Amino acid sequence: MLRIREDRQALARRIEVSRVAVGTVLSLLAVAYWTVQIVRGEYYFSLSENNRIRAVKITAPRGYVLDRNGATLVENEPAYTLHLYRREAKDLNASVDFIVDLLGLNKERVASRVERGRKDPEFVPIPIAENLGIEEVAAVEARAAEHPEFAITVSQRRLYKHGGSAAHALGYLSEATPEQIKSAGNVYGVGDWIGQKGVESAYERLLSGATGERRVIVDSHGREVAEEARLEASPGQNLFLTLDLKLQDVAEEYFKDKVGSVVALDPRTGEILTLVSSPSYDPNWFTRRVTSSEWSGLIENPDRPLQNRAIQNMYSPGSVIKPFIAYGALARGLVDPEARIFCPGHAVFYGREFHCHKKGGHGLVNLRDAIKMSCDVYFYNLGQKLGVDRINEILTSFGFGGPTGVDLSFEKSGLVPSEEWARSRRGARWYPSETISVSIGQGPLLVTPMQVARALSGLVERGRLPTPHLFYSSQDPKTGAQLRYKAEFHEAIGLAPEKLAIVEDGMWAVVNEAGGTAYGSRVAGVEMGGKTGTAQVVGKETTVRAGADKSKLQDHAWFAGFGPVKDPQMVVVVFVENGGHGNLAAAPLAKALFEARFGVAPKAPDPAVRAAAPAAPGIARAARPVTP
Amino acid sequence: MIGGALPGGRRIDLVVLGCALALAAIGVLFIASATTGSPRFEGLAGRQAILIAMGLIAMVCAILFDYRMLLKFSFAIYCASLLPLLYLLLFGERIANVRSWIRIRNFQFQPAELAKIATALLVAYLFENEDDARLHASTIFKLGAIVGIPAFLVFLQPDMGLVLTFLPLVFVGLYFGGLPARGWVVIGVIVLMLAGGGWFMLKDYQKARIGTFLNPDSDVLGSGYQVRQSKIAVGSGGFSGKGFRGGTQSQLRFLPVQHTDFILAVIAEEWGFLGVILVLGLFAGLFLRALKLAQTARDRGGVFLILGLTGMMFFSVMINASMMIGLAPTTGIPLPLVSYGGSSIATTFLAIGLILGVEYRRFANA
Repeated sequence: MLRIREDRQALARRIEVSRVAVGTVLSLLAVAYWTVQIVRGEYYFSLSENNRIRAVKITAPRGYVLDRNGATLVENEPAYTLHLYRREAKDLNASVDFIVDLLGLNKERVASRVERGRKDPEFVPIPIAENLGIEEVAAVEARAAEHPEFAITVSQRRLYKHGGSAAHALGYLSEATPEQIKSAGNVYGVGDWIGQKGVESAYERLLSGATGERRVIVDSHGREVAEEARLEASPGQNLFLTLDLKLQDVAEEYFKDKVGSVVALDPRTGEILTLVSSPSYDPNWFTRRVTSSEWSGLIENPDRPLQNRAIQNMYSPGSVIKPFIAYGALARGLVDPEARIFCPGHAVFYGREFHCHKKGGHGLVNLRDAIKMSCDVYFYNLGQKLGVDRINEILTSFGFGGPTGVDLSFEKSGLVPSEEWARSRRGARWYPSETISVSIGQGPLLVTPMQVARALSGLVERGRLPTPHLFYSSQDPKTGAQLRYKAEFHEAIGLAPEKLAIVEDGMWAVVNEAGGTAYGSRVAGVEMGGKTGTAQVVGKETTVRAGADKSKLQDHAWFAGFGPVKDPQMVVVVFVENGGHGNLAAAPLAKALFEARFGVAPKAPDPAVRAAAPAAPGIARAARPVTP
Repeated sequence: MIGGALPGGRRIDLVVLGCALALAAIGVLFIASATTGSPRFEGLAGRQAILIAMGLIAMVCAILFDYRMLLKFSFAIYCASLLPLLYLLLFGERIANVRSWIRIRNFQFQPAELAKIATALLVAYLFENEDDARLHASTIFKLGAIVGIPAFLVFLQPDMGLVLTFLPLVFVGLYFGGLPARGWVVIGVIVLMLAGGGWFMLKDYQKARIGTFLNPDSDVLGSGYQVRQSKIAVGSGGFSGKGFRGGTQSQLRFLPVQHTDFILAVIAEEWGFLGVILVLGLFAGLFLRALKLAQTARDRGGVFLILGLTGMMFFSVMINASMMIGLAPTTGIPLPLVSYGGSSIATTFLAIGLILGVEYRRFANA
């Protein structure tokens, strides 16, 4: 049949075409596989490696923080966290019920955590409870066979051994914020702890050490199959602080029921021996994850426990400013130290009456007496002679109005007014009568306790202004190698020794002579010099009208002391908010600190510390005049 | 000519048989690799070997049984093969959300696989009788009905992958039956209008719903994830692979359904480009040789039987191999002869048997 034969030929031709088509398609597939496997092979190989290899961080143990004598202030303790592995759970609800019963947890809270965890891939464990006690850990472990879905992980938690003591010097840890992660160049990840405030923040890099890494092989469920490589973490450095726990305890005890701060410095080096800001907070709260009520309690407390009053709060210095002004006037030859001025208890300047703190007046006083008894009228006259710009010059040279350079963040600079400041910043010209207020430490003059401590150090050290610091030394935990702080002086301000001696003598008299404002706080066995201060509460009248708590309207009490007078080894600045008079509220703590530091008889100066602070050349300590 | 000549003019084509057996052996090997360390899939390679043996028995039967007889009764066979499909739609239990399996005790079977072969037989029978040089409209209509009915029943199950494997039969009928160029144009326009028009009338959520309806296993982890992991497996294999059982993508189970649909990705990862070339080469040998046998078959029914069966197999290979590297959507089409799957492997060997049977009787008088 012709028709069929023709058809068969056409069919054979089409089959031949189809063979070519089949061959072509398979060849094209081979080319496609070539591009994926050979051309882009490396790329996909790296993807497959990424798939199977997970980098797991090994957190370095954070360095301890110790005081200058090696007493531990901050260490680490194991913290137990309970995790739920969803893949292992047969029935999630039953698991939740089991653990709620076993550990007495809040069921709603656990359920909401599980609910939140469901959004993550199945292999990501859900944290159920943190900070389990050892009995709870044992209870969970005992039932591990029946409930493999629960597992306990151990991590290191920061432990502040003395709670709120020196909290503002130490700082605290919290999870790194997105900004901190970014600014640290992604060294930190979400959920990593980072130092906040205090030395925890200032010496974060030293304390945190270097994170290690484990490279593990995981399956598609993220389960660890094997460990491929391991880079051990290198632990953080131990940090010795300049603080002396013995003194710190004395100060903390004193401030238990007071608001304010203490700074004790070694004037020769700037080492901070004591730093208290009260009220304080317990840094352990943050590592145990603050609950929102605890957090709002901290934030809403009108006394602001998180603020470091020694460097962040600015106050009127009151009479503690007088020795500096006295020195300034002496150095400029504007006052004869022996010239007496009559204090009737008040005086009129620029048509306004100014009162002395002593109603009946001090009678005839010279400069030494004026310091000793804190005669306001004497200093009104001095201030008038100096004028605000010269006062500004004097105080600025002692470091007021600028940061002290302490190794803590968020330090405030305070304010030293001048005519220029009034014009450009305040927008209202300077009134001469304001100068009168400033000369006794009132008016727009604002200082921090740390600034006072540093300025007094500069004064008793004959012009060497130290940089206050908490860093004593760091120690490598493996090798034990120590790194000491090298004392640097911010600047040497040339002071005239014979003029200083007059001021120092007055300050000696404050404590050690009958009639001195802090005579009640003289220390047996060690001569302390100092100056009391009482600062009026700013905006008192306004607050009264607003009907505020009366205790908040009391004057702030200051005391700035140093000793031993012949060879100053410690400067103490005490500030008590609404404490009333400096001699009663503030000076007793200075006395207690000197007693604690020197006991009955002052010890010989520590040669090691002395070596770290070489005497500035050309300044010889003048013999101290002793006034009967 | 390669081929085993047997007494009495019987011939066994060793190329087709050899390629098929080699592919099946590679399949068993990589099913073993892909299921290593997985308690859930333990022993699947052994099962596959048993199923291959059963398939080989079916193949021998198909060779020995005269395919002309099968063609003669193809309509009855076709009708009989539709019955289990109807049964499934009415009473079938859903396995993986699809009613395409008949389960007898521990044994599952997909009747649609057998229906494919029955449909190929009936199409071959159709073209044995419709032997005009020009394709008639009535033949096209009959072809459409023969393929359309089982395809529609499978569509209702719904198993989109299986539906697609019926379509090559239409193409085979139209092309080898002699559809002229303008016929292709008309069909092309109709298909485009149906597909495009239908698509644009749908709302977005309906499209999404149809997407998951047609491809129910795609949204377990998202089909994007599957394709990505498969591409990584294939690409990371490089030229010579990571070594047998050395594939991280497969051994750590990043690959989805790796012993069934994604077995080629396992081969590509562990044996590399060389392994892919080996598999594609064996398929090329099988198909090109089968098409050669079609050219030399003694009757038109035999020609179309080979073309239909080969066309279906080739289509599956093309789609499956494209799927691995993201060139085709994941549609659940296994790699014939290699993927794990009882019904598929057994019926594929049955199809191989039918192809060999045509050659077997090329010079026979009976």
